[in-house]
Amino acid sequence: MAEFKGTREAFAAAMLDMAAINDKVMVISPDSLKAMRAVEFGEKYPDRYVECGIAEQCAVDVGAGLASAGMMPFIGTYCGFLTMRACEQMRTFVGYTNLPVKFVGVNAGILGGEREGVTHQFYEDLSILSSIPNFTLLTPADPAQCYHAVKMAAEIDGPVYVRAGSGREVDVYEKDAPFSPDGITVWKEYGNDAVLFSNGFVLDRVLAAADILKEQGILVTAADINILYGKDPSKILEVMSRSEQLVTVEDHNINGGLGSYISRLACENKPAKVKRIALTDFGESGPAKILADKYGYAPEDIAKTVKEALKK
Amino acid sequence: MKTEELQKMANKLRLEAVRMIYEGKDGHPGPALSIADIVSTLYFDIMKVDPKNPQWEDRDRFILSKGHACPIWYAALNERGYFEPKVEHFELRQLGSTFQGHPSMHSTVGIDMTSGSLGNGIAIGAGMAAAAKAQKKDYFTYVICGDGELQEGVCWEGANVATGRQLDNLVVFVDRNGWQSYKSVEFTVGQNNIADRFRAFGWHVQEISGHDIDGIKAAVTMAKGVKGKPHCIVCDCIKGKGISYMENNNAWHKGVPTDEQYEIAVKELGGEK
Repeated sequence: MAEFKGTREAFAAAMLDMAAINDKVMVISPDSLKAMRAVEFGEKYPDRYVECGIAEQCAVDVGAGLASAGMMPFIGTYCGFLTMRACEQMRTFVGYTNLPVKFVGVNAGILGGEREGVTHQFYEDLSILSSIPNFTLLTPADPAQCYHAVKMAAEIDGPVYVRAGSGREVDVYEKDAPFSPDGITVWKEYGNDAVLFSNGFVLDRVLAAADILKEQGILVTAADINILYGKDPSKILEVMSRSEQLVTVEDHNINGGLGSYISRLACENKPAKVKRIALTDFGESGPAKILADKYGYAPEDIAKTVKEALKK
Repeated sequence: MKTEELQKMANKLRLEAVRMIYEGKDGHPGPALSIADIVSTLYFDIMKVDPKNPQWEDRDRFILSKGHACPIWYAALNERGYFEPKVEHFELRQLGSTFQGHPSMHSTVGIDMTSGSLGNGIAIGAGMAAAAKAQKKDYFTYVICGDGELQEGVCWEGANVATGRQLDNLVVFVDRNGWQSYKSVEFTVGQNNIADRFRAFGWHVQEISGHDIDGIKAAVTMAKGVKGKPHCIVCDCIKGKGISYMENNNAWHKGVPTDEQYEIAVKELGGEK
């Protein structure tokens, strides 16, 4: 198993591994081959790499055309340019048609966008796609998980979106740990004072918060949710049922992502208090770690929010 | 099929398209009638398809980028034998119908790609053509666009890709009828110089009458002989062609004939009510 510097390198490695055994796999680039670390793929498989230029709507349309003719295109670029600029193409020509077009959206979240600033950091992708039928939303927590998520995307029928970052992701999982088909991996089982659900590249911070809380006598369960709005949430529901206080942590806008998903599951199945830690405003440029700390994702701040929620 | 038979078929398709709009009480007759001769020539002479095996991997592909003209496509698929039994009443745009208001590949057999959201046909067609190249297959992809929809930027994004990838297996017909929803194309953007634009994008371009069956056939033959470039066939068409009160009358972009108007249409198209 290769080790990856970040989720983009993980994407590129997964594509090369798949292309070696599957001649339907293609890479579609809206001038993103370099950004996606997929230059080697383009050189090795020129017939299976389509360059669209800086034109995301076109890239999605080209992907739909390829998929309708039996190919399996992967379109990788900045996630906001896909889910916002090419939103209608993703909805009408991939979602509605239910074609096997796979998307890998990078620079997701404030951590993912970091120094680029607001134009290149995106926290709306999941809420947009969660309202389009047929999409499966995979949200790996680190580079190794991204590798497995990209490979899983090829196994799933229909459209798939994989949320990726910019190389600032912290390794948490063992390299060969599979991407959980249950949509959840429980990491800490200190107790049931609260259940903390993490989504994406804030997992290391959520686990650190669980340890801080433990030192303070608050015993929580902490889990990574890696599939949003999946078809079978039964394992997630089982973990949710352990506590009456749930806390969600996601590097995404507060509407439409993990917090909304867990709130819905709680409302529809077993009512519980849900405290959502997420973004409520635009970000700014800055170093990834400091930026994430400033916007509420410091482990100490996550722990503090959990404590305050338990007091109410 | 012989030219006279294709002409006759085109008018049969026109009649069927108007009938389904009349019966369904909704639809776009003008945009459908303008492309009847192109669709007739494609489905009954040019395209390599097998209605009994609509998913045949080696078939030529067709995209109706101006999806609102779909009544003419539905009629062509019906006459070509895609539906068993043959459809008598299309129930166009009705609840639960096979024939959606705009083409849907999962609703209707023979539809290679969903359409209706204007501007996307060229880029999707480029994807299909790129698939043929990747698969080393020799099928062609044909697209019909409206001249108005070329105002969508994604058309030209697709044109770039087709040029960059030398997709000489992609043929785009542009129905240059000069009209769009509100007014003329010239009113909207000041010019309708489609051939110049495609040439500037590196395409092989021809200009013909969209109602000349022999011209359509010859243009496709010519296109197939030119390698290394995608092909644009700019077709001068009359919106509403074939029904006197609809021809060049943009009020029929969308509309439903009255009983009396329908009788006139049937008479002019040489059909039986």
